[in-house]
Amino acid sequence: MISGHSHLDRTLYWVRFVLVSAFGIIMLIPILWMLSTSLKPLAQVFQLPIQWIPTPPEWSNYPAAWNQFPFGRYFVNSLIVSVAVTVLNVVLAGFAGYSLAKYRYVGQRALFLAILCTLMLPIEVLMVPTFLIAKELGWLNTYQGLIVPVAADAFGVFLMRQFMLHLPDSLIEAARIDGAGELGTYFRIVVPLIWPAVFTLALFVWRETWDSFVWPFIIISDDSLRTVPIGLQRFQEQYVTTYNQVMAISTVAMIPLVLLFFFFQRAFIQGIALSGLKE
Amino acid sequence: MARPPMRANGLSLSLRDSAGVDTPPLLGGTAAAPRRRRGLRTRLRSAEARRQVWGYLFLAPMLLLLVVFKFLPMVQAFYLSLTSYDLLSATRFVGLSNYAALLRDPLFHQSVGATAYFVFGTCVPLWALSLVLALVFNTALPARNVLRLVYFLPAIMPVVVYAMVWRFLFHPYGLLNVGLHAVGLPAVDWLGDRRATMPGFILSAEWRFVPYFMIMYLAGLQNIPQEYYEAAAIDGASGFQRFRAITLPLLRPTGLLVVVVSLILMSKVFTNVLVISGGGPDGATRVLSLFIYETGFQFFKMGLASAASIFLLLGMMVFTLMQLRLFRDGRHD
Repeated sequence: MISGHSHLDRTLYWVRFVLVSAFGIIMLIPILWMLSTSLKPLAQVFQLPIQWIPTPPEWSNYPAAWNQFPFGRYFVNSLIVSVAVTVLNVVLAGFAGYSLAKYRYVGQRALFLAILCTLMLPIEVLMVPTFLIAKELGWLNTYQGLIVPVAADAFGVFLMRQFMLHLPDSLIEAARIDGAGELGTYFRIVVPLIWPAVFTLALFVWRETWDSFVWPFIIISDDSLRTVPIGLQRFQEQYVTTYNQVMAISTVAMIPLVLLFFFFQRAFIQGIALSGLKE
Repeated sequence: MARPPMRANGLSLSLRDSAGVDTPPLLGGTAAAPRRRRGLRTRLRSAEARRQVWGYLFLAPMLLLLVVFKFLPMVQAFYLSLTSYDLLSATRFVGLSNYAALLRDPLFHQSVGATAYFVFGTCVPLWALSLVLALVFNTALPARNVLRLVYFLPAIMPVVVYAMVWRFLFHPYGLLNVGLHAVGLPAVDWLGDRRATMPGFILSAEWRFVPYFMIMYLAGLQNIPQEYYEAAAIDGASGFQRFRAITLPLLRPTGLLVVVVSLILMSKVFTNVLVISGGGPDGATRVLSLFIYETGFQFFKMGLASAASIFLLLGMMVFTLMQLRLFRDGRHD
């Protein structure tokens, strides 16, 4: 626009748009296929040419899929576990981050490095020993087994520390002089100031937990404790895969995340950008 | 910013102070305080001691969790890898024979190969595609928000749903083969032909993760000050020149981050492989995490599984150390 290429610029603008849209449609097709299949009778699932808008739509796939396994139960379990993990992890990570950012004590640096090191120990690596520890504690097939080991994650500690380092010490000092006490200072001064970061972390942890598969898959065999991801996986164990029902329940399982993304796009995207720090 | 090095100095200084002669009275703060109540210095010091205790208290709960569910398992993984244990009979120490067994095991070789195939096969196109898309998205576009939502759907869908949808796409009469047929290509047996399964997985991983890494690149792009481009434009630099002289060098830290994160993320792939192919056909997609799972939880060879975990851990450690280095380098900017 600064140079005299405005004609070229306009062409490029539309070329880019077409490119991005074309690629976007390719990205979208599998999801559209999922939605359309979820509304087909089983006999039509692989029929050609593809009916993108099934007429009449087979809405009954949804209740049928929902009732095939106790999905109400799975959803409740997922909700309990993901909320509990989020609260536990965010609260403790906040404490730990505060301790590492705003206190000075012997061994602090070593402790911080040790905590940082746990970031390279995902459950995929530690599944055998973590399972054995949970077994030792009698936590197989329990809620605490689903919750506590997952809440032991250092990503939040690291994130909270980074944010709290930017808080001016003078604020905390002032609160102390006013006699706010250590806990009072933390909850009344520090937390309100870093609230956006807390929220981003909470959303991130919630999403990860809602979606987590490996750990529940290993320690849960009791059907009444299954979460949504391992409940979904049961469809795959069947002799004949009823793809229309699988796609119906997949659609349902996707709804909470899509809604959440829709309402909290910014925090979500921030979470993804931040997750570069994780892994 | 010049702050971080100074903070680092302050930290090491305070560590040296507190690790020195002061430490014993600090630890016994409450007991020692009444005797020397008068000195202002002492009183300050006991306040300091109380604060230290609070520092530990704030850290303790999370530290406890991490010790029990991260450090302990890690130590146990090393220990188990030197033993033979099947959950029923007693643990038997076997030295390094698990490692020796793995190194001879053709299934393990196959698994390492499958993991490397998946990791590098996925990551290399991923880096390029996500960068290109980020560059395009970083410019003015009509309906950018709608497009962004569309691009995000694959990345935000639950991992099992993602796996189910792709299992469906890979079906002999699924959408992929319909598409191939439409352009006159022969159908592919995505889940039965051992040459086709891994490329299929790679395709599915691109679909899911390109938007994810595009976001990381976008964050990096938006950190580049706009003035640089304006100045370059005034100097008469062409679009390509601007890209080469400004965007690429300033995007380098982000690029390195994307490389490391994607390598780690892909090397622990598990769920979609388990759901889609179960490691088949003939183990062609039995990646390391699946190998560990099968060895440990289906054949109950906990020792052997732990030894395999150590290999996976070593791989990830290399990647993570790369990442930690990046952070340290990045902090000096």
